[in-house]
Amino acid sequence: MLTYHQAMKSLARLPSGDVFNAVGDPTRRRVLDLLTRGELSVRRIAAPFAMSRPAISQHLRILLRARLVQVRRDGRERYYRLHARPLREIYDWVAHYERFWQGKLKALGAFLDQEDRKREGGRP
Amino acid sequence: MKRDLKFEITYPYSPEKVWRALTDPQAIAQWLMKNNFEPRVGHKFQFRVEPRPRGWSGIVDCEVLEADPPRRLVYSWCGSGLDTIVSWTLERVADDTRVRLEHTGFRGLRGWMVSRMLGKGWNSKILTQNIPTLLARWSGEGPVPNVPEAQCTHR
Repeated sequence: MLTYHQAMKSLARLPSGDVFNAVGDPTRRRVLDLLTRGELSVRRIAAPFAMSRPAISQHLRILLRARLVQVRRDGRERYYRLHARPLREIYDWVAHYERFWQGKLKALGAFLDQEDRKREGGRP
Repeated sequence: MKRDLKFEITYPYSPEKVWRALTDPQAIAQWLMKNNFEPRVGHKFQFRVEPRPRGWSGIVDCEVLEADPPRRLVYSWCGSGLDTIVSWTLERVADDTRVRLEHTGFRGLRGWMVSRMLGKGWNSKILTQNIPTLLARWSGEGPVPNVPEAQCTHR
């Protein structure tokens, strides 16, 4: 069973606020979605959006800072690809919270059993 | 859609016994965490983890919001960057007690992520294999409501 110390330690290691902030915006989520099809140039990424290339670049910078994308330069073009690991970290964190309470409910059951045995033992 | 953490478990003891385990500070310390809890609405208390994990104060700030023995206990839970609510509901079923534990109120960006992930019933396989599906679903959703992040008002 996960001890509370282990659980809380992992809960404290919350993925960086950058990741949460990055996926909080619908445009950036759409960009991430586009990148699931593979590596794309900034021009290709910007195409479906009704916004300027600099505006898209700004979104890409935020995704880059959150380590959700990786960039490669080829001549004058920059190509972006998805880097899913930070999403995995968020998932792990959520899963830990669920496990934390599962462990606690088990511990509560064990505590109740122990109290019951004490009482039984005290009987003549 | 499931947006919160919900658990249900039945213990072979009376609601009174379970209530005591949920509300006696020494009992709570044995199965949950060290604390200075009192079953009184408005009472502010803390759960503490010792030794303190690196990078975290080891403290969860709480306030009792409801205390209706031996049926319902609700407290706020503010820690690890989350401002949330933990509620315990006890129901007598023959000689046993059905306990419903809910951890709700995930707000702000972190809360949004947590509720989305819980809502989709993720597991690690889904996450590694179906990231495209996940992102497609997300991209259809609007911006995250601008709710303040984890503001613990009673600190």
